[in-house]
Amino acid sequence: MIVFQSVSKQYTHAGSRDAYAMRDVSLHIAKGELVFLAGPSGAGKSTLMKMVAAVERPTSGKVVVSGHDIGRIKPAGIPFLRRNMGIIFQQQRLLNDRTILANTMLPLLVTGARTAEAEQRARAALDKVGLLDRARAMPLELSGGEQQRVAVARAIVNRPQIILADEPTANLDRVAADKVLDALRAFHAVGVTCVISTHDDQVLASAERVIRLEQGMLAGGEA
Amino acid sequence: MSPWLRQHRFAFGSALSTIRKSPGSFLFNVLVIAFALTLPFAGITLLDNVRPLSEQLSVDPEISLFMRADASRADAEALAPKIRQIVAPGKGEVSFIAREEALASLKETTSLGDVIETLGDNPLPDSYVMKLGGFASAGAAAQVDAITEQLRTLPGVDTVQVDSAWVKRLAAMLAILRLALLLLAATLSVVVIAVVFNTIRLQVLTQKEEISVAKLLGATNHFIHRPFFYTGALLGLAAGAVALGAVAVALRPLNTSIAEFARLYGSDFQLLPLDGFAVAGLLTMSAGLGLVGAQLSVRRHLSRVS
Repeated sequence: MIVFQSVSKQYTHAGSRDAYAMRDVSLHIAKGELVFLAGPSGAGKSTLMKMVAAVERPTSGKVVVSGHDIGRIKPAGIPFLRRNMGIIFQQQRLLNDRTILANTMLPLLVTGARTAEAEQRARAALDKVGLLDRARAMPLELSGGEQQRVAVARAIVNRPQIILADEPTANLDRVAADKVLDALRAFHAVGVTCVISTHDDQVLASAERVIRLEQGMLAGGEA
Repeated sequence: MSPWLRQHRFAFGSALSTIRKSPGSFLFNVLVIAFALTLPFAGITLLDNVRPLSEQLSVDPEISLFMRADASRADAEALAPKIRQIVAPGKGEVSFIAREEALASLKETTSLGDVIETLGDNPLPDSYVMKLGGFASAGAAAQVDAITEQLRTLPGVDTVQVDSAWVKRLAAMLAILRLALLLLAATLSVVVIAVVFNTIRLQVLTQKEEISVAKLLGATNHFIHRPFFYTGALLGLAAGAVALGAVAVALRPLNTSIAEFARLYGSDFQLLPLDGFAVAGLLTMSAGLGLVGAQLSVRRHLSRVS
């Protein structure tokens, strides 16, 4: 499902090349796997996620996601690749001028889905994360944990094959973090591939598979 | 409804929603653009009203030849073959107007009947009127002058007048006005495009986060661009409607003054608003200018939003 072959990523600023954000990383994530990415800030976790979502292209090596070579994919093809993914950001990135329901409907509306159908599926997704009763609320009326669960609902509403979650439990208390992780585990249980980056040792301790990154490289301790 | 049509409906709804969020800003931009459009629209309305008037007037030269008062009818009629020879055959129409006929016509077409009656004798001379075809171009003016000079040398001739000069001047003036209007319209179109360009630039900056999130959720460039295109077109359309409305309102006081002036010449001339077809054309053009401004802006600024 996700394959990295000797992937390196180096950013360029004003013509000169900075240090490597990722260097010679090779890994394979199978369909339906639940994988946690661990490592300190700047280790390359976000870079890895960005390459899977085709936000960044590798400087060298090959990244293949659902059969698409990210280094060679045409710009016009990227939106269609992303429609098979659910992306959850650390800072939720909800649209504050729209209701929770409208935020959750957005991934379906961009595909040209009927409004009625999009609303029905968005309500079902909000129900799964326990927020159906807040559908008409605005994002800023919700707590951080609730906002993150809305982000989860938005990520799963288009029934993606892959969920990418970048530090989804950062800034959340234990109870809120567990609710978010429980929601993600529920989708993994029905066959969705989940890649979650986290600093949370408690979560990592119980993880099935952990990929550790340090200074842009794979650390020895992959579990 | 097809997905394509649904996406357009969604984009149109998004554009209206953006306008509803900041109606003041939209209205201000509409007024700025309308201000730029009003001048060319007023010019077009004026030309549209004057054009039929100028088209009714012949621009072919018309020469009037008046005999001396002491010239006899026989002298006058004897000139006919010579006149036809001077005015190249097939290029003009020569009519003889007897002095009695001229007097009758003068009585009929003016309100000077009573005054003419008091004169006793007919003061008008016999005359010829020559309408010259194919001499309308500026290059033919020299030929007309040559004909006039030859006619003046004929025996018994008092005066020869070329009557179409003022019509030619009017036609030339209208042509210049039309060209000036075209240049003005082109310049102000650039102003309209620039205003829409900047408006859309600000909207892209305001909605940067929304655009970025939509892209990560799988939105295509078309999906993201469309609401901005609709906003630009709506901006142009609304401004065009305001400009046309302003011109229509301005016609009322203008017509009051024009009516008084026209009455002095026995005319009921009035400036009329443009017809439905022209209005539709100008509104389409305004919306088109808005669309062009939005397209240029979106192309320039959206590529920077990742």
